[in-house]
Amino acid sequence: MPPNEPTTTAPATTTTPPRPAPAPATHRTAPAVSLAGAAKAYGAVRAVDGVDLEIARGETVALLGRNGAGKSTAIALLLGLCPPDQGAVELFGGPPDRAVRAGLVGAMLQEARAVPRVTVGELVAFVAGRYPAPMPVEQALELAGIAELAGRRVDRLSGGQTQRVRFAVALTGNPDLLVLDEPTAALDVEARHTFWKSMRAYARRGSTVLFSTHYLEEAEAHADRILVVDRGRIVADGTGDELRRAAGGSRVSFDLAGRPAEGLTLLPGVRALEVRGDRALLRTEDSDATVVALAELGAVRGLEVAPASLDDAFLALTAAEATTAEGETAR
Amino acid sequence: MRDYLRLETRRTLRDPGFVVGGIAMPVLMYLLFTNLGDGDSGGWKTGAMVGMAAYGAVGTALNTGGGVAEDRAIGWLRQLRVTPMPPHQVVVGRALTASVTVLPAIAAVLAAGGLLNGVRLDAWQWAALALLLWLGSVPFTLLGLGNGYRLTGQTTGVANMVANLALAVLGGLWFPLALFPEWLRAVSAYTPTNRFAELGTSVATGHAPPPGAIFVLTAWLLAFGAYAVLSYRRGAGND
Repeated sequence: MPPNEPTTTAPATTTTPPRPAPAPATHRTAPAVSLAGAAKAYGAVRAVDGVDLEIARGETVALLGRNGAGKSTAIALLLGLCPPDQGAVELFGGPPDRAVRAGLVGAMLQEARAVPRVTVGELVAFVAGRYPAPMPVEQALELAGIAELAGRRVDRLSGGQTQRVRFAVALTGNPDLLVLDEPTAALDVEARHTFWKSMRAYARRGSTVLFSTHYLEEAEAHADRILVVDRGRIVADGTGDELRRAAGGSRVSFDLAGRPAEGLTLLPGVRALEVRGDRALLRTEDSDATVVALAELGAVRGLEVAPASLDDAFLALTAAEATTAEGETAR
Repeated sequence: MRDYLRLETRRTLRDPGFVVGGIAMPVLMYLLFTNLGDGDSGGWKTGAMVGMAAYGAVGTALNTGGGVAEDRAIGWLRQLRVTPMPPHQVVVGRALTASVTVLPAIAAVLAAGGLLNGVRLDAWQWAALALLLWLGSVPFTLLGLGNGYRLTGQTTGVANMVANLALAVLGGLWFPLALFPEWLRAVSAYTPTNRFAELGTSVATGHAPPPGAIFVLTAWLLAFGAYAVLSYRRGAGND
């Protein structure tokens, strides 16, 4: 478990207010989110198994992983919905519930369903009223793309509409940190597009956004940084390009033409070899060096260089980590 | 807090189950029971009015627990926990909602008694009756909250219904105690519903509430209060 960076704790001790203030003094300097060795188990299942991460203010970060990888538990931990069994969780340099109480956090939770017998406008206005500096309800509805639904009962909307109501509920308090757990799960293509546009508009105002998803394209397209979660751990942390490189950046393939495949894994840059019939597929970190080496061997028939897809990277990262532990993280 | 109270009261009043079960049913049953047999005694009309108002109040108070179980199931309580609203305000707000929504149930039966069945009481008696029935419903709210925080939505509904019917019949809210055998009358004296109604009948006959009734109801208040607190502690971490 790596130690906390000193900057996260130092200001808290020097500027302690005389009585508990709703917004701590570290609020402006501390990272928005900080988890250190956080772990949470349900029975024998280690849902979150020692997570260290820091999210700076203003970052847009994706938590990418399969269903059951531990994304929702990690989010529950950082929102203070459940305490970690081990490790520390901080939002804006203080305990999560303090940040929540101070109105710094807005969240769209995954399992939530429609609140019955209340209209969209009533619900969003009620939540907005809990926050110290909310945005006008109309603006929240506008951003979520549901301005025309204000007078409708929440329990009489479609699944996609309900999801957008929950988005409006999350952002109407104008929080510094917006946490979205699988925000696009029930949305169709068009609604998805609108949703991401709104999310980016919100992020541009300087807010920190953390969203979880199991769609690779969403993570790459809409986040500055991707955290790959697998089996309760963060197995990679970086941009889409960094993840591709970490997983073996490109794919070089050529016809073996009867040549033996032995020794190909020793060529510069090569991280993995697969032989399909007479064709060799090399996953490489440095396609230029690999291609030059192959040319020297005269093995260039039908040579192709293609970038590894993010899918490849994701599969490589989440499969490899099961055995090689944390040595391969991207950063 | 006032916003939360307003929101939850609105949600309750829009619930057809509440309007039918908590207001319409007790009124209909009251009119039915008192007018079927061409009843000659004004005493039964008054007694049944208190009993049915109590029955409506108990049902409505318990119903609050059903709302809590529903809110847990759909993740609304969890959503509230990520807003700046402190958790204790949510619990207190729910209990206060019950005390607001119990009023129309009481008022509807009393109005039926006064306007349709010709029950005549002094103004102070009407006021004291409404007030005592209102205050006396608090233990049942706590029982409902205890169920709501402990059980799932469906089981809460069943548990509340069973509790409501059993307590209503045993406590003599539906039929006069005089029809009960001796031993059952002895049991009935220890039920919260019987003592709850006794608060009302004593005032309706011009007496102060007997100390025994206050003592038994207070004991139930403490018991159900402890149950609600324990249930809340157990349920709150997981919902």
